[in-house]
Formats: sequence, C-alpha cells, structure tokens
Amino acid sequence: MKPHPLHKHLFSCTEVYAHLCDNLDEQLDSESCRQIKAHIAGCENCTALLDSLKKTVYLYRKCPVPKLPSRLKSEVFAVINVAKQKKKKISHR
Amino acid sequence: MTDHLDTQADHQLITKVKAGDQRAFSKLVQRYEQTVWGFAYKLCRDKDKAEESYQDTFINVFRKIDQFDGRSKFSTWLYTIVANNCLMKRRRRKLEDLLESFDDAPDPEDENVKKQLAAWDDTPIEKLLHGELRETLDDAIQKLPDEYKVVFVLRDLEHRTAEETSKITGLTVPAVKSRLRRSRVFLRQQLHEFMTS
Repeated sequence: MKPHPLHKHLFSCTEVYAHLCDNLDEQLDSESCRQIKAHIAGCENCTALLDSLKKTVYLYRKCPVPKLPSRLKSEVFAVINVAKQKKKKISHR
Repeated sequence: MTDHLDTQADHQLITKVKAGDQRAFSKLVQRYEQTVWGFAYKLCRDKDKAEESYQDTFINVFRKIDQFDGRSKFSTWLYTIVANNCLMKRRRRKLEDLLESFDDAPDPEDENVKKQLAAWDDTPIEKLLHGELRETLDDAIQKLPDEYKVVFVLRDLEHRTAEETSKITGLTVPAVKSRLRRSRVFLRQQLHEFMTS
C-alpha cells in the first residue's frame, strides 16, 4: 500500500492547506489530522490562514436573515386553491 | 431519537397530504417554512427572490408530493427543491473562468502570501455586519458559482452533513468536501481586503 503523503515527511504549509479538514473545528483524532494540527500550532502562517477561514464562516453565520413575511403562506395556498379549482373544472368537462 | 420521531411525524403528514388532506399540507408548511425561507434567503441573498423561491418550493411540494417515496428524509428532498428553484432563477454561469481563481489557493510558503496572511482585525462583528461588511459578504458569495454556493450554504450555514449535502446536490462526498474547501478559501480571499484595510 502506498504511504499516505502526509506520513512521508513533515508537512509543508501547502500540504496542510491541501488536507485542511472538512470541519474546521472538528476533533481531529486520526494520525494525519493530529500531525496537521501539530503543524498549524507551530506555524504562524497556517494559524492565520485557518483563523481567517474560521472567521469567514463565522461572519456568514452571523448575517441576519430577515423575518419570514406572514403573507407568503396564504399566497401559496391561494395559488394551490386556484390550481385545484382549474383541475376540477377540467375534470367536469 | 428526535430525528427518528421527526421523520415519523413527517411521514404521517405526507401520507395525509397524498390522500388530499389540505390541513396536513398546512401543517407540513408550518413545520418547514422557516427552513425553506432561511435556506432560500442565504442562497439568493435577496428578499424578493427568496420570497419567490419560498412560494415555488411549496407549490412544487404540493404538486410533486406523490413523487416523494420516503427513501430519503423529507428535509433532504425539500432542500433539493429549494436549491433547484434558486439556481434556476440564475443563469448558469461558465464555471471554468471562475474556477481558475479557485485554483489560485494561497500558498502559505510564498513570501508575498505570508505578508497577506496577517491576522484579521478583531473589530466587533455586530458593528461590521450593519455596514459595508454586509455588502462585501453579499457580493463575495454572489461571485461563487451556484454549485459551490449551495455546498457552502448547506455545510457551513445549514449545518448539513457531507453525506446529506451529497444527496441534495447529487455530488460525491469527496466533491462536496473539495467544493467546500475551495468555497471557503475563495470567500476568504474576497473578504481579505476589507478585513485588513
């Protein structure tokens, strides 16, 4: 079996970027994830990159969503009722 | 357990809707309208378009409920309909051009990039979100190709798992992960100037 690229040598920053885990905050317990974490802990640039990625996601999460307009639901039902009536008329012909 | 009970409650409602029970449909709408509204707004970043998507989604659900076979969660099916509605409203963009900029991921070992990777300021977020930052965030996410935007919103904002996102989008799990990573980096790059100026 071919060794995982992360096991061949100490990580470079580029490799760390390429293997950044899917979940930025996940508990990393695989060997490769532990090594990535160790690299990040000792690397100012990777720490800054990871922090800014986390902050990007955080900013989007903090964006407020406007309140759902209450009229929308009744508008949906109005359309559905019109469609139903049309269907009835067609089936009566 | 709650998830299981939710699924069971959904299936009971859906059975009634399929039998023509409009009150059951109303309950189903009530149960999911915030989810649909939130997802539609986060994808469209525009209130009018989100309203249209909300309406189209529930009308489609009513029309196509017989096609829901219960093999996936109802929410998964619903997310797929919302995503399709939102994306159909936008003209399909040529991915290749945009993907070029995606491949320009920062190489932290590059000296120029090192200078750029200065930590972002700790300006209070609430203050920023009501000003120019909000516009910057909207502009940046609108630049993402639709297929990437859907993955970013589902994974990072709607907290869907990679597996569920894969079912919703029809992408493989590795493709979901790769698109998520590229989307985050692209958005980070778009925000960088604002955050460091």
